[in-house]
Amino acid sequence: MSFEAFRQLVQEWATAGYLPEALAYGFVVNALLAGLMIGPVLGGLGTLVVVKRFAFFSEAVGHAALTGVAIGILLGEPYTGPYGSLFGYCLLFGILLNFLRNRTGLSPDTLIGVFLSVSLALGASLLLMLAGKINVHILENVLFGSVLTVSGQDLVVLGFVAVLVLALALPLYNRIMLASFNPQLAAVRGVAVKTLDYLFVVLVTLVTVAAVKVIGAILVGALLVIPAAAARLVSQSLKGFFFLSVVIATVSTLFGILLPIVFDLPVPSGAAIILVAGMCFALAALARALVPRLQGNPA
Amino acid sequence: MTAAANLVTGFGPRIEFAGIDLTLGRTRILEQVGFSVAAGSVHAIVGPNGGGKSSLIKTLLGQMPHQGQLTLHWPSEREVIGYVPQALEFDRGLPMTVDDFMAAMCQRRPAFLGLSRRVQPAIDAALARVGMLDKRKRRMGALSGGERQRVLLAQGLIPEPQLLVLDEPMSALDEAGIQVFEQLLKGWRQAGTTVLWIEHDLEAVLRLADRVTGLSRKVLFDAPPAQALTPERLLGLFSVHPRSESLAS
Repeated sequence: MSFEAFRQLVQEWATAGYLPEALAYGFVVNALLAGLMIGPVLGGLGTLVVVKRFAFFSEAVGHAALTGVAIGILLGEPYTGPYGSLFGYCLLFGILLNFLRNRTGLSPDTLIGVFLSVSLALGASLLLMLAGKINVHILENVLFGSVLTVSGQDLVVLGFVAVLVLALALPLYNRIMLASFNPQLAAVRGVAVKTLDYLFVVLVTLVTVAAVKVIGAILVGALLVIPAAAARLVSQSLKGFFFLSVVIATVSTLFGILLPIVFDLPVPSGAAIILVAGMCFALAALARALVPRLQGNPA
Repeated sequence: MTAAANLVTGFGPRIEFAGIDLTLGRTRILEQVGFSVAAGSVHAIVGPNGGGKSSLIKTLLGQMPHQGQLTLHWPSEREVIGYVPQALEFDRGLPMTVDDFMAAMCQRRPAFLGLSRRVQPAIDAALARVGMLDKRKRRMGALSGGERQRVLLAQGLIPEPQLLVLDEPMSALDEAGIQVFEQLLKGWRQAGTTVLWIEHDLEAVLRLADRVTGLSRKVLFDAPPAQALTPERLLGLFSVHPRSESLAS
């Protein structure tokens, strides 16, 4: 069954009353499908981001997306999906950052601080130079995400990235984690530590860029961090950590997309998604404070 | 790894260091280091902090650009090195149980899916050997330093190594842990595993090693412990470096 036919079927069922009313709109179905791909992938990869202390990096890559969009528009790509420039610029950003981290001896947060601000300055300059050419609402969409504009092409890009990231990250999950515990031990066990570091940077970048449309450049990094951070607070094993992170990210994405539509709130999808995720984090912190068992193993 | 593969244990390799030089930046870390480690022996390396012990191990593990000749003479085609690092860098609050950690070390299947059936018997056996079987569901961060050290020893047992490189394995061990370690050492000696062992505890070296090399940038002595660990030699070894450490340990 083609995607179009599937979407029409969902819309028909919604119109007939079998499914929630909001699904009668094509764009809602698109956005939810995007959410169903974004949530699990960001939630799962997020556990590695937290283990490897890459949170600030993923934030920075998200922000780099803003500059990527600006470059795309400047180069004449369609402003609804300047994927060439987005992927190109963000990958360059991530790989260069990792390269310099290995070469300069600067601590990652210092280096990211430099890259992030320079990239933002470049993006802001380009976007304001272009301001005359483009509708200013596009900027809002890029910054905070929009469910209205998720197209079939976006879903294809997202689906492709999701499959690629899962196919690479799952078989390498243990190795990526091991490399951060003790690089030397990892190397003895046959892990190509440096190559995996680059691969991880690329995976985080791909996922981040693919999710920009729905969550927005400012907040996309947060969905890699908050669900995993919340899951870390209340879980006692890697199994709980991983799956809870996936569930929180998915639930946040779906609720963040649906709630503003159902309650007719003028809230951008990215902000709503992160607010839901933030509430999950608050609940997890509360649960940890109230249930002593969650704070560590009993002796 | 199958149980059958577990039993196949040949003699460990003989290792020859010859004229090893290592310079990092402007600092000379190792200078004309040469000694050999007999196949199947327990060989200790002692020396002051900053004397190049860890760098020598990194060189052996192929992690350092060095000059000179380093040869491993493997007795068979199977070439398995086990490594037990001094410590792990991880977030102590990470929800990772002992089982999760062993899974992450020893199997391809993502650790969050649990132990794979293929590796589980080996992990069970390794945890039993270090006396951590009853604590396998504990979080790594909640273990004591000694218990974590035992888990590190357990991962070094899978797959069964022919050469084991130990970086101060006893530093965090308590009394019971030291007994576990001595049992392991006995087992390796019987199996003919070559053990290269960095250690601070000179009494333990005297008791347990077949041979000991004193390293402080250069090889200062290389002999059986009873001959090597004399007060004069130790004084020489630990006085060369400005940050020398107590002999009393």
